[in-house]
Amino acid sequence: MAISINSRLYVQYLKNAYQSIHEKEDYITELDSATGDGDHWSNMDKGFTNIVEQADSLATKNLGDLFKQVGMTMMSVIGGSSGVLYGGAYIAASKTLGAKDEMDLAELCTTLEVMLNDMMKRGKAERGWKTMIDALAPAVDAFNDGLAEGIPEKELLENVAKAAENGAESTREMEAIRGRANYQANKGVGHLDPGAVTMAYQLRALADTLIKVT
Amino acid sequence: MKKIMNNSNDVVSECLQGLSKSDSSLVYVPELEVIARKEKSGKVGVVSGGGSGHEPAHAGFVGEGMLDAAVAGNVFSSPSPDRIIEGIRRADSGQGVLLIVKNYSGDIMNFDLAKELASMEDIEVEQVIVRDDVAVEDSTYSTGRRGIAGTIFVHKIAGAKAASGASLAEVKRVAEKAVQNIRSMGMSMSPCTLPAVGKPGFILGENEIEIGMGIHGEPGVERTEMQSSVDLAKTLTDHIFSDFDYENSEVALLVNGLGATPLMELYTLNNDVHKVLAEKNITVVKNLVGNYMTSLDMAGCSITLMKIDEELKELLLAPCHTPALMQ
Repeated sequence: MAISINSRLYVQYLKNAYQSIHEKEDYITELDSATGDGDHWSNMDKGFTNIVEQADSLATKNLGDLFKQVGMTMMSVIGGSSGVLYGGAYIAASKTLGAKDEMDLAELCTTLEVMLNDMMKRGKAERGWKTMIDALAPAVDAFNDGLAEGIPEKELLENVAKAAENGAESTREMEAIRGRANYQANKGVGHLDPGAVTMAYQLRALADTLIKVT
Repeated sequence: MKKIMNNSNDVVSECLQGLSKSDSSLVYVPELEVIARKEKSGKVGVVSGGGSGHEPAHAGFVGEGMLDAAVAGNVFSSPSPDRIIEGIRRADSGQGVLLIVKNYSGDIMNFDLAKELASMEDIEVEQVIVRDDVAVEDSTYSTGRRGIAGTIFVHKIAGAKAASGASLAEVKRVAEKAVQNIRSMGMSMSPCTLPAVGKPGFILGENEIEIGMGIHGEPGVERTEMQSSVDLAKTLTDHIFSDFDYENSEVALLVNGLGATPLMELYTLNNDVHKVLAEKNITVVKNLVGNYMTSLDMAGCSITLMKIDEELKELLLAPCHTPALMQ
């Protein structure tokens, strides 16, 4: 049966995403200390912790309101550039989702694409700039390709998560164009971008959450 | 580190609470770190904001004839959109709101998103971006020129126009005109220490200064030996003049301290800047000397010039009543 995502299921995903980020404190902080301010993990963890605390009320909202509330929370609690980029992306998606109570995989793909486009526009960033976009963009590509080819949902979701993980890994060889890493002598080459890594964790958690219910 | 503070997490909120207690016409919004006028103006609202550590900017310029609200982020980091939207709401009297934003990537992103949130609430919002620092293009936290002390003049011009009852489009127009005519250049004599970090972010030698350093310690154009006030006035204004022609015009002049430079030194520099300006037949119509856009406890200064025509002159000289500027 085709997957349908309602608020309850999306909240389950948010809990899983929280878990996968939460347990990686040392690893992410270590990555971030190499190229950034060292606060990426703690900011992301604070944001997801706050979202999980709102889980019960979030699960009762329609998808548009759910995404808006998640966006507002991320922008205020995560803060900094990550907060405004995630927050802006969720709010942009909330506008297209409107009062819908559920979405299928094609609509989820569109939602991710809306979020990707908002992040690129707001951050004035392109693919290949060693950012979280390098995990999200290939995942959206894989999602679109899989839908076009009509491959089974489980396989499709696995491809999306894999594409995000490979995308995050690909940031190791990239030169940073924006942010602090750009001011380092080697522009961060040799180091993974922590923002791309936590983005891949979220997409892996999303795929796994949905695969479980297929 | 020696600072008058309690917990480093509370420096922003405690500073703003202290400020609001010094002026009974202001209100402090807890958690959201907004300082606003207690009573709405009934006119176009003017809002600014940015990272903390630049006091009295921006909260010190809230009051009659300048800002309606100022929104503070943590030290040297942009306020988030949920804070900015609160500033917008507090400033909005139904006539729309102008945002005055310094050109830093974080500020731009956060103010942009706040603007989108405001439009979802049917508040009309326009924005001007201040990029007055002629020192460098692109920097640690910015694409294009940085916004520094010249922002104070934009507050003054926009605030005076709004107070006159002008429309949002008109307030934006004069603010843009001010931005086009403002240039600044600074220098640093010692680093600053962030309360949460506890030690200086960079080191300058005993007799060394950095010309063109940003207000968060971003790189400038060169490090040199300390210079006399006469030479400094010349060095800094040369950078400004090579970018914008002020000759034979009327200007507003701000000699700004970065936080740890005594007024005695700022007045001395001001004296020398006047001599440089006189040689170019530049007439100073309004002169501010003091700490207006600081960088925590950094020692150093910046010089800002704004070329004015009759319209800007009238707005510049109009009365205002704020904690940090009264005329």
